[in-house]
Amino acid sequence: MALNGANFACAPGEVHALLGANGSGKSTLAKIITGVVAPDAGEIRVDGQTVTVSGPADMYRLGIASVYQELSLIPQLSVAENILLGHEATRACLIDNRAIWAQAARLLEHFSRSLGRSLPIHAVVEELSPAEQQLVEIAKALSRSPRLLILDEATASLHSREVEALFELVRGLKDKGCTVIFISHRMEEVFRLCDRATVLRNGQTVATVDLKTTSPDELLQLMVGETERPERVHKEVSPGRVVLKVEKLRAGRVLREVSFTVRAGEVVGLGGLQGQGQSELLKAVFGAYPLESGLIEIEGRRARIRRPADAIRAGVVLVPGNRAHEGLCLPRSTFENTTLPSLEHRSRCGLLSASRERRAANEVIQRLEVKVADIYQPVSTLSGGNQQKVVIGKWLLNNPKVLLMDDPTKGVDVRTRLELYRVIKELCSRDVGVLINSTDNAELLAVCDRVLVLYEGQIVDELTGDDLNEANLVAAGLRMTASAHNSTRGETTWGE
Amino acid sequence: MNKSIINSVPSEYEVKPPSWATRVRRGLPLLMSLSVLAIVVLVSRVLQPNFFDRAVVRSNISTFLPLIMAAVGQTLVVLTGSIDLSIGGIVTLVNVVTVTLFGLLVGMDGDGPVLLALAGGLLVGILAGLVNGFLVAYLRLQAIIATFATNFVWMGLALYVLPTPGGSIPQLVYRTYRGYFLGVPVAGWLLVVTVGIWWVISRVKLGRYLYAVGGSQASAYATGIDVQRVVVAAYALCGLFAGMSGIALTADIASGDPLVGGPLTLSSITAVVIGGTRLSGGFGGAGGSIAGAIILGLIRNIIFFANVPPFYQDFVFGLIVIGALAIAAVGGVRRRSA
Amino acid sequence: MRQLPSTEATGLPPGSNRGIPAKRWLVNPVLVAFLLAGALFVVGQVLSPGFLSYSQILNVLRVASFLGIVAAGQTLVVLAGGEGIDLSVGAVMSLAAVMTAHITLARDALLLRALFEVILAGLILGSINGLGIAYLRIPPLVMTLGMAGVVQGLTLVYTQGQPKGRAAPLLNEIVTHPWVMGIPGILFIWMLLAVAMAVLLSHTSFGRRLYAVGANRVAAALSGIQVSKMIVAVYALSGVFAALAGYLFVGYTTTVFLDIGGDYVLRSVAAVVVGGTSLAGGTGSYTGSVAGAVVLTVLVAILTTLRMGAAGRQVIHGLVLILLLAAYGRQRRLRQ
Repeated sequence: MALNGANFACAPGEVHALLGANGSGKSTLAKIITGVVAPDAGEIRVDGQTVTVSGPADMYRLGIASVYQELSLIPQLSVAENILLGHEATRACLIDNRAIWAQAARLLEHFSRSLGRSLPIHAVVEELSPAEQQLVEIAKALSRSPRLLILDEATASLHSREVEALFELVRGLKDKGCTVIFISHRMEEVFRLCDRATVLRNGQTVATVDLKTTSPDELLQLMVGETERPERVHKEVSPGRVVLKVEKLRAGRVLREVSFTVRAGEVVGLGGLQGQGQSELLKAVFGAYPLESGLIEIEGRRARIRRPADAIRAGVVLVPGNRAHEGLCLPRSTFENTTLPSLEHRSRCGLLSASRERRAANEVIQRLEVKVADIYQPVSTLSGGNQQKVVIGKWLLNNPKVLLMDDPTKGVDVRTRLELYRVIKELCSRDVGVLINSTDNAELLAVCDRVLVLYEGQIVDELTGDDLNEANLVAAGLRMTASAHNSTRGETTWGE
Repeated sequence: MNKSIINSVPSEYEVKPPSWATRVRRGLPLLMSLSVLAIVVLVSRVLQPNFFDRAVVRSNISTFLPLIMAAVGQTLVVLTGSIDLSIGGIVTLVNVVTVTLFGLLVGMDGDGPVLLALAGGLLVGILAGLVNGFLVAYLRLQAIIATFATNFVWMGLALYVLPTPGGSIPQLVYRTYRGYFLGVPVAGWLLVVTVGIWWVISRVKLGRYLYAVGGSQASAYATGIDVQRVVVAAYALCGLFAGMSGIALTADIASGDPLVGGPLTLSSITAVVIGGTRLSGGFGGAGGSIAGAIILGLIRNIIFFANVPPFYQDFVFGLIVIGALAIAAVGGVRRRSA
Repeated sequence: MRQLPSTEATGLPPGSNRGIPAKRWLVNPVLVAFLLAGALFVVGQVLSPGFLSYSQILNVLRVASFLGIVAAGQTLVVLAGGEGIDLSVGAVMSLAAVMTAHITLARDALLLRALFEVILAGLILGSINGLGIAYLRIPPLVMTLGMAGVVQGLTLVYTQGQPKGRAAPLLNEIVTHPWVMGIPGILFIWMLLAVAMAVLLSHTSFGRRLYAVGANRVAAALSGIQVSKMIVAVYALSGVFAALAGYLFVGYTTTVFLDIGGDYVLRSVAAVVVGGTSLAGGTGSYTGSVAGAVVLTVLVAILTTLRMGAAGRQVIHGLVLILLLAAYGRQRRLRQ
């Protein structure tokens, strides 16, 4: 359901940006073009000819290659082996390693030259830094001599010099008539590199624009769409004492000295682009992501949280981001999923009373208005929204003090979404502190008292009160400063 | 359209082979199993003064060869991240089929088509491997249980072909197997052939794809590799090696036995793990497995020559094996988390 | 083919999403297994009149009971997921059987002591399995296969190659002699065990957590369950059940041999699969395994009546397992 009626075309020798907010379907579109994901409907034309694709191998034949966001490298193989994987040079059927090393070195030469240091072609990929791996992934795509190259967030883990080297390379390819599709969350890069841009919103193409005649503001407008004023969820209570205090959390490049507090009855949002460390931050507080250093206090007392069980005991619970993989035991019943984390409170000598369990489950189900025909049926038979209610509901029986939520309304319909907001509000009135990550800005605006904006593992901005609006959120996430909210004379400048 | 930037590699382009440090680091597990092998050989020499005598060497190689071959076959499957629990069954089936073919086609004086009978055995191995591969790659059954189940099919078929131990093979065959060629035991030559086949496999595209599929199926798929075909090929080759193992075993014991191959399944996996190949796939090689297989065989000998009381031998051997498995597994975990 | 919602593969440890059922069975697999058992009895009656007699049914159930007891442990291990399987049950059962005969030496007075020692041995061996699997991350298959080798060696050491002793008369009486309505004691024990297992699985925190761990380890851990401890526990229990089966089996065979339990490895796994427990973990029940044990035993009884040899029985066992796997345990496609 990531895409719904997306159209897209690009010309030879063009650098074409694919833009859109979180979850607008950019990566899915790219994967359909490379054949990794099978589309439900639609067609792909190359040089005007409709082509049928049954997998990635077909796409290489058509001259299409991609740099994947999650990389397509084999960790245990060497750099050279990875770059030429799938089309190794052979001599009398045997792999010609010398030729492969030469080709790999040749493909990496550009980067080596502009970075002033050579990439080790014999090193094992799993021992490389993320940036080096990214360069290998790029060289791997180039090894196919593509007519169309897709760069999906290829700059995400690169440093500025490496980005420059990549840009130089892309311009060289362009001069040779190669088409490049560029997907990036760094707007500044898009403007510097690309000729045209196609904007996606909710899986649909909104517009294709010429970037020379388009201002960043206009582009922003296209990505955000009609600025609908989301209904603010009003709360009666004002935030109380601090329930969660986080100080200087560090975890490599993912979290860099993150500090903040959450008060009782307060809803704090985590904003910014997707994948800037929001999910990891929530998991780290919950004891499910390893930390290098940092301090966590619950209700003023220092908490030693090494595993989720510790966090739960301290009153911190997490609604994880991926309900199928992290939140629910799909083959098990709604009843079991609902009661799972709180069994201890109701068991007598390890034995459970069927009726007491049923009462507990029903209490939650009624409180959250979960629509379920039979609570003993597998939870996988519920709709997405109701499944999400179960993921939240299973914690209610533990009476949490801090509720961490990672994108709780992803793939949830509007009505259920509003119901979930009502639940959050109700929890706030019971003095629960809520920390919520959302890829949907409207949601942050609707429920949050305060939003912390993350960028590459750091809190770069905090928005409250009147500053908390759509334009500021998007701008802060892209490291731009929007001086105008919906005023026509507003101008936009780049952050560092 | 655009002729690539890489197709024209200038001949003067400098290509440096991997440095020795890099090679040693990548080959560390192999080196480690070779060191263990050296130690085990040393201990054997101490306990068994005639260890390096021509006859003893010949006898040891011919006894270890079936396991060595099975371990090489198992390695190919394990490299793809799969496993073959039916390898013992295949070896058994090949053993009884070959013995039966010898009885039907050749006769005991050995003036029939000996090679045809041997080819029949190999074919059985390959076919069994293809069936395993089909179940795992195309029917997408869990390898562990699917091959666990086919093992019983192969064992059952073996029992059907030869209900009780017996039969015999032409003198020519077992004499040759126990003989020498150019001063080197024939079993030694067969070991060379085994190593040669592995050398070829590791240097053709398929060999590299075994590693790629085992390293990351999703990445291999996104790179355009036909993952299913690679897995089937791995199982078929494993079947081929199991076939060779079955024939070597037949030549060694000179008869058929419908239960003979059973222990080879665990032993082959143990040899693979001791040889430094990761059970999760993508890392290792048959060289280590060969060393592992020889280590296992020699440890059995050592336990025997160290005068461990007969009834303690299995127990001591089992403990050593499980210890080796644990060490190898722990090493694997540390590597991954590092 | 119906796809479960949201099958995108993100940040998911290998093996945690294996074998999403390709299709839901229209009827309860446990019911299917029981119907299959019934049907097989009828087939037996057609092929060989008298097969469906009361005494013959009781006889089949009596033979099935040992398999059923071993399968109890196997069920727990498979339910816990993570490619869970215990291939050491046969060796543990053998060791327990020779220990029982050796300790009691046909004396009733020593039965309790034998039971205590045998159960302790099963507990220790099973726990070692669990520790290796949960903490050293040794794949269950490798760990338990290796353990099988060790236990076989241990049996050899224990017996010095020559198992001695025989069943105590009381044990023999408990297992084989009719108690009420011609029903032998072993069937009451099995029934008791079945009830205990049902309570354990659906009316205790342990059971609920076990299902959760098997269904989704990540979600279970994120619900505060300590997954490793659960894994050690199920393998320990599997060792205990295998030991118990070995103990009781001596009452049936009265004499023992070294590999007395060897047959039960594959058959216990097969019984679990036939009973509808998913090898991917997280779904299934012991009731299903009971049915599975009966199905397999009736199958063997029929094949024996047909004078089918060991060869045919093995082949058919293997084929039945593959067929059931194809129906239940398919894995995900690579292309999404």
